[in-house]
Amino acid sequence: MTAPTTTPDTVTNRLDLLLASLGGPGLPFSAETLAELDRAETFPAEACAFLDAFGLRRYYVPVEHGGALGDFSAVMTMLRSVSRADLTVAASHGKTYLGAVSTWIAGEPEAARRLGERITHGETVSCALTERDHGSDLLAGEVTARLAPDGGWLLSGEKWLINSATRAGLVTVLARTAEAGGPRGFSLFLVDKSRLPAGTFSCLPKVPTYGIRGADISGIAFHDAPLPEDALIGAVGQGVETIVKALHLTRTGCAAMSLGAGDQALRLAAEFTQGAQAGTIPLARRPYIRRELGDAAAGLLLADAVGLVAMRSVHALTGEMSVVSAVAKAFVPSAVDEIVARLLQLLGPYGLLGAGDPHGRFAKLERDHRIIGIFDGSSLVNRNALIEQFPRLVRAYRKGRWDEAGLAEATGPHVPLRPFRSDALSLLSGDGASVVAGLADAVAQVRAIASAPLAALTERVLDATGRLHEEMAQVRFAPRAVPAHAFDLAERYELCFAAASALHLWVRTSPAGGDETWLRGCLVKALTELGDKVDDTELDVLDDLADALVSRPPGTFRTLLDHLGQAGPADSREATAS
Amino acid sequence: MPLPDSGVETHTVDGLRAWLTDCVATHLDRPADAIDTSVRLSDYGLDSLYVLAVAAELEDHLDISLDPTLMWDNPTIDALSEALVAELAQTHV
Ligand SMILES: Cc1cc2nc3c(=O)[nH]c(=O)nc-3n(C[C@H](O)[C@H](O)[C@H](O)COP(=O)(O)OP(=O)(O)OC[C@H]3O[C@@H](n4cnc5c(N)ncnc54)[C@H](O)[C@@H]3O)c2cc1C
Repeated sequence: MTAPTTTPDTVTNRLDLLLASLGGPGLPFSAETLAELDRAETFPAEACAFLDAFGLRRYYVPVEHGGALGDFSAVMTMLRSVSRADLTVAASHGKTYLGAVSTWIAGEPEAARRLGERITHGETVSCALTERDHGSDLLAGEVTARLAPDGGWLLSGEKWLINSATRAGLVTVLARTAEAGGPRGFSLFLVDKSRLPAGTFSCLPKVPTYGIRGADISGIAFHDAPLPEDALIGAVGQGVETIVKALHLTRTGCAAMSLGAGDQALRLAAEFTQGAQAGTIPLARRPYIRRELGDAAAGLLLADAVGLVAMRSVHALTGEMSVVSAVAKAFVPSAVDEIVARLLQLLGPYGLLGAGDPHGRFAKLERDHRIIGIFDGSSLVNRNALIEQFPRLVRAYRKGRWDEAGLAEATGPHVPLRPFRSDALSLLSGDGASVVAGLADAVAQVRAIASAPLAALTERVLDATGRLHEEMAQVRFAPRAVPAHAFDLAERYELCFAAASALHLWVRTSPAGGDETWLRGCLVKALTELGDKVDDTELDVLDDLADALVSRPPGTFRTLLDHLGQAGPADSREATAS
Repeated sequence: MPLPDSGVETHTVDGLRAWLTDCVATHLDRPADAIDTSVRLSDYGLDSLYVLAVAAELEDHLDISLDPTLMWDNPTIDALSEALVAELAQTHV
């Protein structure tokens, strides 16, 4: 099969055009259609079928296994686009990647090829880790696989609160294979429902949820279900290791989905504040509202910087993903949750209206987005993962040690990405975090090309980062007793990482004398959140961001990439809203 | 990254066992002589994630990069000391 050589950007553009063309009245991606499905708690089957026809599934399958997934930033950008239109659709469709990724990482090539074929032909794959009494703690799972007397395995127990457990034909299941458990006591199985004898499994009823109401959130119970030997993914005892590595990729994908929701929230709020009249002055021109819009725009740019660097890091800084993905998953959904909550205030009563009202979209978006910060490892679980890595992060920072080539590739948005190698994933980053360790170097470069006010902001970010690492070095804890204040340090670490990401991106794309607005917005926002004193003149940049936001054509989105000097005309990537 | 001056010779199984015992004792806030080197670290409450923090200190001490799963595949101090000596021999060839 010779796939047409399309660059990632053109595929994304084609998807954006498709989504826009399906957004008209009565069509599957129209706000009304999606709101109605949500109200009826009905699966968005038609929207998913259009994504299938577009070929999105091929991007869940690596090229070497017969699909089109080469560049992770491409598939994540597409998921962001779908998320702008609807998170229920994005979570339901994107689930297949989560279901399959363990096989890409640890499966036999032949098993991966077969799975790739099933996926491109339309099969949905689910991933079942959670049980009724055990979520974040993977080592507590009770679902068990025993060796069957005549070969293969017998799987028993219940997985619950699982996306697509009922609709999927294939389910990746984490099961206990050693009675004592422990990190080598679990294995992964790819369960093919069509090969199970009747009565050996049953799907559990759909669970009503706060958001993404149409999604198939259910569960599956196994009753001595016989699995063939080749259902095992990787080696016996490799399950936890594989899943932890898989999460490095899927958590990064969650950040991309979150950014899509953030794009939509900002667009809806901007259009509302332009349209609604309070007295005679449009809301957007009132100083307080303008400042709030600017703050939200800066917050989203900062989150965007993390998302962009994280998805490029999958290729460029693969061994550091234990840090990068934890930052992305902890920071981006929390930042977007906060942006959405503050914009909801701006909409006043309109933010609370339900389906049927044009503004009902905002309330739905708020409900849908809340789940992103919970599944695939909550913000707290990810902060906990960061804290466990503090000693290494401090060590690398103090030694001034980072992967220079990897950092240049991860933060150079136009630099071609090296091929992804799953064997470079590591449970813990040996090199700390190059994005943060390389901050001083980037600040020195900024000093040479930026205005004095921008250079001053970057120096303050560097100071804050240095102080933070001293505090991180003091954190000591006994097993399972992470002190509460360490979570505050983790949040500050995320902010420093975000500011550093923005800085690196700017340094690599902005010629001397280039536009500084977006970067100043990001740094002002990060410093404010870090508790640094930011003065009034510095905050004015937020108003500039607000003005830019409300002056763009209705229905358009502008991501951070659009600020980073694309090869073509600057606005060529603007997508039309659905 | 292996550095030439990491003092390979000093890392014998006994030396590493003693160092690991001290390290684990510090984490558990117990005297070193209360640690049995043939008991699984998880039995002392050092669960699979926490034990990775010990891996970080080990890397510092030995100045090498370790695959953290070494801690999972060698769950006692005795097993770990043996594995580390083998690992060090490989790294410094
Ligand atoms: C809509 C939806 C879809 C889902 N889809 C799937 C799916 O497809 N597959 C799947 O396997 N699971 C899925 N889940 C389950 C989800 O991943 C779990 O709910 C989540 O892992 C939390 O587990 P738990 O509910 O047992 O809570 P717990 O793990 O018991 O956590 C309870 C609280 O403690 C916090 N916490 C936990 N550990 C720590 C720590 N170390 N430090 C600090 N705080 C901590 C958590 O953040 C949370 O606030 C889904 C859940 C929902 C709601």
